[in-house]
Amino acid sequence: MTNEKVDVVIVGAGASGSVYASVLAKAGKKVVLLESGPDWELTDLISSEIWGRRIKPAGAPILLDGKNPMTYSAQGGWGVGGAALHYFANFPRLLPTDFRIRSEHNRAHDWPISYADVAPFYDKVAREIGVSGDARAEEKWRPAGEAYPMPPMKTFKNGDIWLKGFEASGIPMVPAPVGMNSVEFKGRPACLYDGWCHVGCPIGALANPQVTYLGDARKAGAEVRAWSTVTRVLTNPAGTKVTGVEYYDDKHQKQIQEASVVVLAAWSAQNPRLLLNSATDKHTKGLGNASGMVGHYMMSHHVASTWAMFDEDTQNHMGTIAVQYMSYERYPKTSHAGAFGSSFITAGFAMKTTDLANSRADLFGPELADYMKRAARRLAGIKAFGEEQPNLENRVELISEKDEFGMPLGKLTHSYDQDAVALWNANFEEGLKVAKAAGAKEAWSGRGSMPTSHLMGGTIMGTSAADSVVNSFGQSHEIPNLWVAGPSIFATAGASNPTFTIFALSQRGAERMASQWGTLTN
Amino acid sequence: MADIGRRSFVKGASLGALAFTVGGAEVVMAAGEARARGVPFRLLDAHQGETLEALGETLVPTAREAGIAHFIDQQLSVPPHESLLQARIFNFRPPFAEFYRTAITAVDAASQKLYARDFAQLTPTEQREFVDRMRQNKIEGWTGRPPGALVYAVLRADAVDVVYGTMEGYEALGIPYMPHIPPEKRW
Repeated sequence: MTNEKVDVVIVGAGASGSVYASVLAKAGKKVVLLESGPDWELTDLISSEIWGRRIKPAGAPILLDGKNPMTYSAQGGWGVGGAALHYFANFPRLLPTDFRIRSEHNRAHDWPISYADVAPFYDKVAREIGVSGDARAEEKWRPAGEAYPMPPMKTFKNGDIWLKGFEASGIPMVPAPVGMNSVEFKGRPACLYDGWCHVGCPIGALANPQVTYLGDARKAGAEVRAWSTVTRVLTNPAGTKVTGVEYYDDKHQKQIQEASVVVLAAWSAQNPRLLLNSATDKHTKGLGNASGMVGHYMMSHHVASTWAMFDEDTQNHMGTIAVQYMSYERYPKTSHAGAFGSSFITAGFAMKTTDLANSRADLFGPELADYMKRAARRLAGIKAFGEEQPNLENRVELISEKDEFGMPLGKLTHSYDQDAVALWNANFEEGLKVAKAAGAKEAWSGRGSMPTSHLMGGTIMGTSAADSVVNSFGQSHEIPNLWVAGPSIFATAGASNPTFTIFALSQRGAERMASQWGTLTN
Repeated sequence: MADIGRRSFVKGASLGALAFTVGGAEVVMAAGEARARGVPFRLLDAHQGETLEALGETLVPTAREAGIAHFIDQQLSVPPHESLLQARIFNFRPPFAEFYRTAITAVDAASQKLYARDFAQLTPTEQREFVDRMRQNKIEGWTGRPPGALVYAVLRADAVDVVYGTMEGYEALGIPYMPHIPPEKRW
């Protein structure tokens, strides 16, 4: 069945898709969002780690391969709101050095834009959806910008207890910027600090898409079609324009949605899968893939978690899943001798019983039961997120096996290089020093399999089709009315949690699309 | 605590409890209650249920009574996109029953080699020793996939769910649960 043509069809109703929908619907465009999962509402967000798994990935799996498989299910999203329905809402930004690694270090690649190009959009997003923090305090590490619209969040003992250790280690900590309300903001209530953010905040204190961009988009007339799985992007016979998408609806019926512009906002692994599966005789390697880069340069953050037991009550059930304190002090790429890449240091977060159990994954039986009792009031943690450099071999590709709609499954291959491993180890060493200086009774590194946190790359931005998939706005180098949004367009990963940058780049891209509309539809 | 009243400002969740089949009718109850009432398994056979209970109890004390086998069995019977099992978070590919079947088969095969008995028939001391070796991938002759350490991780996580992931589990540890939308039947 062919539906009435619209101005814009957006594939994916998560963080990036919701921004595009809001900006374009407000600009008077007819917008349809197609989302493969359910249409979650705030009343679906039950305060339970067990029940919270309903909003985690389902549907066709991405098969995992490589030395460090990119385990994505805990962080990924499924359904309207995407991963941003249950994200931690840590809102650090990338720093100027992230945009010019090639120029400064002859490593990786430069972005085609600078920090100054993105900074106004960080500020705009903060004004739009609400960010709590202390911008002035951050400006010891970054160029000045606007103040955040809300003061920092409350802190608790599980964060405060680390400050002495960081100070002794020469690492200044400042209030972390978060996409949560420290006070009432635009009619949304202030946070209650009970730590259920990661299963979805039903009161709207956390800036999930439902209460921000997506809500605005719907008010402006955007239509959201849940249970709609896109399988191909369609082109005209000449292969010069996209004409819409093919998708399967909630009854598994094939549908065609024609549109003047197609935006792929389906997350870093699915965007390349869709482009590769949309190959034609004019685009034999997949749409927008003259460079052969579609699916390549998949990136992640590694995380070094340091755990510690204290004599005092750490109030670890209180706070938010977002962190209370942060530092860019180890963000310069060569901060640790023998390693390369940025580290973003954080402290203080609420924990649930699963977190307590996972902090000592080696314990079981009576020892675990005993540990749980002690950890319930005495445990606290710090985390250092580390940058992975883009590697061509880390990739998404199609395999012969197909999903229920006949679309080839994607396989994601990922391995960390020696720089990443060295940085991970350095962050562990520093974490233990901080814990000791903080007066921890006992401290240990949360090792095990090297973790993969946040998924980026796959359709990276650059200056031309020779070395990248899209330009800095997310527009395909080859097909002007095909756009890609979200972390897949990041050229490098930095070490900062990505969602604030996803919002900012999407705002920038969507405004560009609206301003250049005539050139896209002629 | 500030503004407790707002915690309950959004109500109406109706997906809190699990549906078990009793006498041909669907009855909503917690997994521990289903075990106590002798609710038949939907997919597991008696040996699989017994093995999961023995593994769960070894991993997290009281997991048997909390209904780990009934929890897993009930969750295996729902569509994968509705599943609450940790297998979903561990990136296993549906159907998740395949993981549990192969895990139980591998555990029993290794237990037979080491002790000439299935895992559920081992003494608590032997079960503990077995699980410790499985955790470290140190069981010689372990066959097939998934590896022992992964079986340990997933079943331990399931056991943590039924013992500590409930409102009762929080209470037992003295941790305030503080829900916005409380799960029904105290899940």
